[in-house]
Amino acid sequence: MNNLIRELRSERGWSQAELAQQLDVSRQTVNAIETGKYDPSLPLAFKIARLFGMPIEMIFVPEEE
Amino acid sequence: MSRLSQKQYEWRVLAAMSLYMLCMLLEWPLVRTATSVSVKCLLALVPVIPMVYVIALLARRIRASDELEQQTHLIALGMATAVVGALSLIGGFLSIAKVLVLDGSILIWVFPGLMFSYGTARWWVARRYGGNMFCEGDSALAKYLRFILAGSVLLLVGWLTRSSLDALRLGFFCGAGASLVALGLVLAIAQHRRRNADE
Repeated sequence: MNNLIRELRSERGWSQAELAQQLDVSRQTVNAIETGKYDPSLPLAFKIARLFGMPIEMIFVPEEE
Repeated sequence: MSRLSQKQYEWRVLAAMSLYMLCMLLEWPLVRTATSVSVKCLLALVPVIPMVYVIALLARRIRASDELEQQTHLIALGMATAVVGALSLIGGFLSIAKVLVLDGSILIWVFPGLMFSYGTARWWVARRYGGNMFCEGDSALAKYLRFILAGSVLLLVGWLTRSSLDALRLGFFCGAGASLVALGLVLAIAQHRRRNADE
C-alpha cells in the first residue's frame, strides 16, 4: 500500500515524532507506515485521515498489480 | 494505563536486575546454611520477586504498545516460545535417552533463554519494519554502554564468587564478561568514528 503521509506531514512542518504523538503511536510506527513497510489497521488509517482532514482513499493508494 | 518511555522502562528493569544480582550474591548463599525447610524455601524464592516485577513491566509495556509494536512483540514471543520449547523437547528426549545428564536446576535457564530469544527475535522483527526496537535517542543507555555494563556485571559476579565456582562456570563468567566488554568497546569506537564522519 502506498501513502502520502510523508508529503502531508512535511507540508504541515511536523516531525515524525510530532505526528506520532498526535496519533498516539511510536515514531517507529510512523516511519514504518511512511516507508510502506507496515499497513496500518483501519482505525489507525481513519485516525490519520481525520488528522489530515482528507478522505482515507486520498491518503492510502493500493499498489497496482 | 500510562505508557512507559524507553528510559523509564530501562531504568526500572536495571533497578530490578540490580536487586536480583544483590539477592543472588548476598542472600542466596544463605540457602545452603538454612536448616528449616520453610526458611530455605523463603530464601530460595526471594530472587523471584524482582524477576516477577520485570515480567509485570514487560506485560505493562506490551499492553500500552501501539499496534505495530504489539505485532512485533507477539511475533517475537511466538518465536522465542518455539525456540525454548524445541530446545526443552530436545533436552528432555536426550535426557530420557541418557545421552545428556540434566538435573532440575536446568529449569533456571528457561526464563533467561526465553528472554534472550525474545530479545533477538524482536530485534530481527523490528528490523523488517525498518527500525530498531526503539527510537534512537530514547534509550536510557547507549548500546555500547549496555554491553559494557552487562559484561562488567558478569566479570564482577565471577570475581566475587570465584572461590565457590568450578573451572567451567568461572570460565563462563570471565569469557562471557570479557567478550561483552570487548564488544561494547568495539561498538563505542564504531559510534565515535560515525560521529566524527558526520561532523
